[in-house]
Amino acid sequence: MDAAEVEFLAEKELVTIIPNFSLDKIYLIGGDLGPFNPGLPVEVPLWLAINLKQRQKCRLLPPEWMDVEKLEQMRDQERKEETFTPVPSPHYMEITKLLLNHASDNIPKADTIRTLIKDLWDTRMAKLRVSADSFVRQQEAHAKLDNLTLMEINSSGAFLTQALNHMYKLRTNLQPSESTQS
Amino acid sequence: MQRRSNRFSQTEAGGCPGRPPGGTARSPHCVRADVIPVDAEFGLEARDLHPRRPGPGEAVRSIVSSGAPVRSPPPVEGLPAVPRQRVGWKGRKDEFPLRVAALSDCCEVPGSETMTEELDLHGQDSDGGSEEVVLTPAELIERLEQEDNLRRAQRGDLKVSIHRMEMERIRYVLSSYLRCRLMKIEKFFPHILEKEKMRSGGEPSILSPEEFIFVKEYMDHTETHLRNVALKHMPPNLQKVDLLRAVPKPDLDSYVFLRVKERQENILVEPEADEQRDYVIDLEEGSQHLIRYKTIAPLVASGAVQLI
Repeated sequence: MDAAEVEFLAEKELVTIIPNFSLDKIYLIGGDLGPFNPGLPVEVPLWLAINLKQRQKCRLLPPEWMDVEKLEQMRDQERKEETFTPVPSPHYMEITKLLLNHASDNIPKADTIRTLIKDLWDTRMAKLRVSADSFVRQQEAHAKLDNLTLMEINSSGAFLTQALNHMYKLRTNLQPSESTQS
Repeated sequence: MQRRSNRFSQTEAGGCPGRPPGGTARSPHCVRADVIPVDAEFGLEARDLHPRRPGPGEAVRSIVSSGAPVRSPPPVEGLPAVPRQRVGWKGRKDEFPLRVAALSDCCEVPGSETMTEELDLHGQDSDGGSEEVVLTPAELIERLEQEDNLRRAQRGDLKVSIHRMEMERIRYVLSSYLRCRLMKIEKFFPHILEKEKMRSGGEPSILSPEEFIFVKEYMDHTETHLRNVALKHMPPNLQKVDLLRAVPKPDLDSYVFLRVKERQENILVEPEADEQRDYVIDLEEGSQHLIRYKTIAPLVASGAVQLI
């Protein structure tokens, strides 16, 4: 899966916006979106929120986990723990990127948040690399990857599975020839 | 060969006969219940389209059977009929993304190459069934669009553009799903045809009618091409090529990522290392794993796990 596709999926997450127009309830295929009234918050999927923001029809509210103290805590905890800690949101990376790119004026302390999320991401990717390395080294057959987001899995998943497949083939083809030799 | 177009001749387009009178389940706000017979329940939840759904040997599902709420389709019953109840965003917040995610997952993950084939192996009508399901939603999207444009032309640009955006998104998911299927067909065509031949009469097909035509034609074209390019110049006793052996089989031993939907116990893990230490693991609900496909193949088929 592409990173772009993962982002596409992440765009279905709901975020809160404050529209500056009014519109009655719309019935989309995926669900209903409540009536829009200027100044009143409403939840919409991210793709719609970004689009409205680009047309300057709304103001975005940061999700409640996008807060400097909370993110600092998460980052510190991630650094302490050996395993993966629960993430703020299953698509935290994509949401952060989209929101900060398009609506950084609506997000307080956008730069700090960007740095914190990046730290979190780097820590998790480092852990992922280490654990993939040990997985391959010890020839494990199974790994549990709770608390990993789709984007993280996707970033190294394709390579990892291909590598494991090759190794498996090499390994299984090794044994018969050994037995024939003996 | 005809690439999949959105126009499917059929009967399916006509609105699934036997659609359960139910739209009873739907909320009155169901979009255009009057316009779209299937009442657009086809939020195209990926689950509905997801090939994993149905267990082997199930009756061919049609959009009709949609009556059943798709949420967790009992393996016994029909496939996750596309149609499902529509609730507001809040209600389906978790489902819609997951579903489309699932849909995309099943298609895009390279490992799924083997998967679909495996599914085909079991004669799941999922692929075939989901094709039927897919046909209609695609058709319906077209119709929805037209209705939309007609009815909303005067209602302001915003609504129309929002609907259009959503339509595009759904169309993208659908088309990437279909693209994935075609890719798999092209990659493993002799094996697919073989499976089709072997499947007994009672089991539903894993391919849609158009796909089946596509596979056959692809096979014919490939054979003709090979013959004209090389084989006819070979000595007479070497002029046959066995495509079944020439084309690599889907690799069922490849590693896949999965997410567990239903708790499973005692899944055997066989490490291929020298020490023969098979061990069993339990799969907790909601956890994610990396494991070889073969061990969990039946779970994928039954929908207890979801590939990522």
